[in-house]
Order: sequence, then structure tokens, then C-alpha cells
Amino acid sequence: MANAYENQTLDENTTRFLSEAAESHFDFHSVSTQAAGDERLKKAVNNATMRQYTGRQLQLLELPDADKLRTLAGNIKQHALENLDYYLELLRKNVEKNGGQVHFSTTGEDAKRIVMKIAMENRCRSIIKSKSMVSEEVNLAHALEDAGLDVVETDLGEFIVQVSHDKPSHIVAPIIHKDRASIAKVFSEYFHSDYNDDPQALTAQARLHLREKFRRADLGMTGGNFLVAETGQVCVVENEGNARQSMTTPRILISMVGIEKVVPRLSDLSVMLKLLARSATGQMMTIYTSIFGGTRTAGEKDGPEQFHLILVDNGRTEILASEYRETLRCIRCGACLNACPVYRKIGGHSYGNVYSGPIGALITPLFEGLHDYKDLPQASSLCGACYEACPVKINIPEHLVRMRRDIVRHKFNGRLERLVYRLWGWGLRFPFLYKWIGIAQKFDLRRRAHGSGWIRSLPKISAGWTQVRDMPAPAKRTFHQVWKDRPQDSQNPN
Amino acid sequence: MPTPLPTNTDSSLTLIDRVRRALGRYEPITAPTTPPPVIDESITRLVHSDIGLSELFAKRAEENKMIVHRVYPEELGPTLVRFLIDQKCTRLALPDSPFLNKLNLIDNLRSAGLDAKTWDRMMLDEVYDCDAGVTDVFAAVAETGSLVIRPTAQHGRALSLVPMIHAAIVQPRDLVADLVDLFDNASREGNRNGLTIISGPSKTSDIEMNLVTGVHGPCAVGVFLLQ
Repeated sequence: MANAYENQTLDENTTRFLSEAAESHFDFHSVSTQAAGDERLKKAVNNATMRQYTGRQLQLLELPDADKLRTLAGNIKQHALENLDYYLELLRKNVEKNGGQVHFSTTGEDAKRIVMKIAMENRCRSIIKSKSMVSEEVNLAHALEDAGLDVVETDLGEFIVQVSHDKPSHIVAPIIHKDRASIAKVFSEYFHSDYNDDPQALTAQARLHLREKFRRADLGMTGGNFLVAETGQVCVVENEGNARQSMTTPRILISMVGIEKVVPRLSDLSVMLKLLARSATGQMMTIYTSIFGGTRTAGEKDGPEQFHLILVDNGRTEILASEYRETLRCIRCGACLNACPVYRKIGGHSYGNVYSGPIGALITPLFEGLHDYKDLPQASSLCGACYEACPVKINIPEHLVRMRRDIVRHKFNGRLERLVYRLWGWGLRFPFLYKWIGIAQKFDLRRRAHGSGWIRSLPKISAGWTQVRDMPAPAKRTFHQVWKDRPQDSQNPN
Repeated sequence: MPTPLPTNTDSSLTLIDRVRRALGRYEPITAPTTPPPVIDESITRLVHSDIGLSELFAKRAEENKMIVHRVYPEELGPTLVRFLIDQKCTRLALPDSPFLNKLNLIDNLRSAGLDAKTWDRMMLDEVYDCDAGVTDVFAAVAETGSLVIRPTAQHGRALSLVPMIHAAIVQPRDLVADLVDLFDNASREGNRNGLTIISGPSKTSDIEMNLVTGVHGPCAVGVFLLQ
């Protein structure tokens, strides 16, 4: 099974994405420029995000006070983070009380080793895996495939991603970037069947295939949307039923979850669940919400005989210690992606990592290092739509500005940029010089406008500005001149 | 025999220690530094009254694309049989439930020529060959039009998940107003067996945002709400 997909032709976008990702330095500019020029992609992403966005807004109207509920949800998550050591200990105690085992993993590698160990020691051959962002983050499925295990992604979108050797591009709608024709093509090759691009037929084909996998699987894997400390349980929301399959048939169940998912009490779920689906897809509730943990109880004929909870750090404790702690509140609903004017234009792959959109621009540099992803915090107009959409009120724009400060502090911005700012700073100290440079610049820019009022292209380092838009020509008189000549009585309003 | 996994105490201590350091502490705390936020019901609760829950539940369940039948106990058998035959079901799986036994449901189904088996006489794998699961519920939430299942030895997880059709029988006393009530009740009991909240037939919108029902769970859910 290791390289089962090796001989298949890769999706064109994916080839590009993978080759970009292979380079040590992620080139945001070229990937996003290409994506922004892809009309088909833009249309698909725009259509899907707008639908989820309007769905969300309609659903929030149902709540007595959506704003206060978001504040409460944010406070609950923040409280859990401030006391995370306490709640993790409580969670562990309660999972063990329910017959489960808790494994703590510091890195993604640790997490994968633990899964592999559990699979090997129990001689598991067939693994059914439901959607989980943290397993995507540590690239679990590939590691298991490489180890020769038969692992199948069972969420329809993730299954399509797996068989087409693609990457997910949205937190809740992984194949937002694909159209039915490309899915139909992949399916007809994978199943050796006739081409049929009817979504109903494609879904039925996947259902039939995966049902046999469910029936025979000996290891099920899920992620977790919330961890309830007081009961030692995991809460998973989904629409398809594949996560439920993972916790029903296989004799072994592994839930791999980030440590920041803890909430103190079962009753906190009534707050979280009222916001999660509404914010994510504009549903009142997802179709299935499962709260589970521990092993099957006496006399039960389904459910796991062994339950393992793998808690993943993978950089989270460092974020917890930093001034970005608040970002760990994130419940991965994707509302900020749908609200973001930048995401809608460039899609999820442009962000170069599993987390995309505004939250990705923030946490990818935190997880993977600011140096390699220094362009991401800049990929925002700071319009604040993400903050407004966030169900746990993470102040994303504020954190992005803070991160831009870090870029300057660490000198990750280019040499030229630093030189320009230094010169500017120096010039500001000499008003006379500053004024004359300004006037010279004005003449130069007005000349480039050719009397049209718009500058169509600028040379060298300023070229980027006019590549995608025109720049208005400066006014005839500088601000200093206007200020000097203002009517004198305006200085004293009375 | 596989060797036991290394006890996780060592690595776990390290991680929890790291978390503790990240929060600026060196010693374990025995209680949270501040009490958890108070959950103010005026913000969280959407359904305030216990009056008209049945109507509200029926309305919401229908919005969730469940097929709702409001029936008197004596009509239940025939209505259920008609529904199952309409859905082309012949092999049925039921939980071993005193409530369903009291309703004499099995006899009703069998006398209509349907092959009904209860969970205590089945293997898990057999459920994969069944056309429908006919179950009672642990609770039903009016706010969201949801069915709530609690897996037990008598009521397997597979019954409401694996067959293509799920028929659920809801009594008035199963109804709770709001999710707030559901979780309050569950936390009082400890919730050891967990809960699954079902709010419609299994679905996906993954392919070009086209809604398709019946992905990995039932493609139709019939609700029989007793009056």
C-alpha cells in the first residue's frame, strides 16, 4: 500500500503546491499570484465561502445575543488555557477512570510513533480515519501508509484528497478548490469505472467502497473538537457518520487531539455547540455530535475494547507561553476563512500549510517558524472581518500587527526594506531636506502620470504596487503647502 | 502477546510540566486559579418553556430533513410498518428495550412479514446486512430537533448508524427543551457511556456544495413522535 498512488498523474495544482512546499523557503508571492489568476478556482472558493458566510449570519440571528455568547465561549476557552495544566491532569485522571489510556506527545513525530506502536502491538491491518486537523498537521496518514498500513481517509472530502494525492484547502470543506469533473476523473481511474460526474453517484460510489472498510477495520481514528475534563471524554462533530463508524466497529479507537481543545465541564458544550456549527457551515447543529471516551462497558457488543487518547503539543506550549496565547482558543470552524476577502481570492493552498485563511496566517508562522512564513502576516488588509466572525473572539488583526512587529524586530524583512525605512527615518530628522525630497518626488510622479491623473507603472522596487492596480498621481500642491496657506481663522475655531 | 505500552507517566509529566512552565507556574495547582466562567442561561438558552415542546421538536426535526410522524400509541405499529415498507426495508435491527417490548413492536413488525431481530440476539456484523434500525431514544432536544442516543449493552451504537434507514420512536417524556438541559442532565449522571446527538440524515456538501444525503450513516431518518 505504501506507494499505491505513485503511478497516478497528479492534479496540476497539487504538483505546483508540492514542489513549492518542497522548497525550504515558502514563496507566498508566486503561489498566491498564480492562484489569484485562476478564475475557476476563484469562482469555486467564492461560491462556497459566500454560502457558508451568509448561512452563518442567518443562523446567528437565532441566538438571543450572539455577541455575548461569543464572549462567553471565548472566556471559557481562555479559562481552560490559563489553567491548562490543571485540566489536562483532570482529563487524564478521568479518561483512565473510564478505562482509556492517555498518551502525551511533544512533537508530531512522537504522536505518529505512538499511533504506529499501538497499531503494531495490536496487529491492526486496516485503519479507518476520520477528519482531523491535528493529524493533517503532523501528516499522519502518509506516515502510516509508508509504514505499510492500510489507512483510509473516510470523510468524503478527505477521501477524495487521498485518492487524488491532493492537499485539503479549507478547514471544514477540504476540497473547496476542486470541481466535480476533476473528482469524477480521479474516481473513474481509482475504481476503474465509467466517468460519472453526478455528485450523488460519486458519493454513492465512495459510500459503497468505504462501507466494506468500516465493516472490517480493526483500528478507528478520530480527532476531537472538544475534550471534556470533568468526564474524560472527547466531543466530535461531523455530518457524514464516518467518525461514528470509527468509534463503533473497530476494536481499537485512537483519538488524536491538540492539548488546547480542553473545556472544563460537560455543560460548556452547550455554549460551544451552539456556536460551532453555526459559525462553520451555517447549520444549527451538525448532523452528528458524539461525546465518547473510555472503553465499551460490560455487555456492550460494539464500541472500542481499547481507547487511546493522544494529546499533541507540537508547538502549542510555546504559543501558550507567548503573547499569542489567545490564538489557542481556536475551535477550527473556518468562519474567518469564509469572511476573509484575501482567502476568497487566493484559496487555501496559497497559505502553504494545513491551516489557511486569517487563522492560518497567524498560527502557521507560530507552528512552523516566522522566518519561513513571514509573508503570511502581511497577507491581510486588517479589515477585521475575521475578528467579527470568530466565535471565540480571537483578535486576529491585532495579533497580525503584533507579528509584523516581530518580523521587523527579528530583521526578517528584506535588507532593502530596512534601508528604505532607515533613510526615511533619517530624512524625517531634517524637515528642510524632507520637504525638498517630497517636492522632487511629486514632480517625478506627476510626470509619470502623463497628465491622466493615474500612474500605470512604477520602476524597480515600487513596481509591485502598480502590477495589479494604478496609483493616483499626487496633488499639485503638497500637504505642507496647503497647510501653510490655510485661512488663518481656522487655527482658532472661536 | 504484545508487550505493554510504556507507561505514559514519564512523558506526560514532562508535557504537563511544560504547560505549567508556559503558564508561569512551577508547582501543580489543586484548583483552577479562578472559577470557570458562569454559564448565564439568559445568553445560552434558546427554549425557555416546557410548553409546546412536542410541536417545536416536530417542526425543528422536519427542518432537519427528518420524516416526522405524530402518532397515538395504537397507530404506531401500522404507521411504522408502512414507513418501512415504503423505504423498501425488510431486515430490521432493534435494541433490546423494555419500552419497545411494552409496545409489542416486534410482533407488529413480524406479523407484517418483516424480519426483525433484537440486539441481544445479533452480532455486530449482522447490522451491516440490515436495511433499517428501529430504536427508542435516550432523549430528544426540541431546540435543535435532535435525537439523542446513549449506547448501552442493550442499545448498540451501530443500530442508528449502519443501516440505510433509521426509525426512531420518541415519547413525550424523552423531550428536553434545550441543549442546556440535555447537558445538565447528562453531567448529573456522569455520562460514562457518552451520547450521540443526531440532527438529520447523514449528509455531505463536499462536492461543489451539492447536498447529498446518506454518506456513511442513514440516508433517511423517520421520527415517530408519540402523542
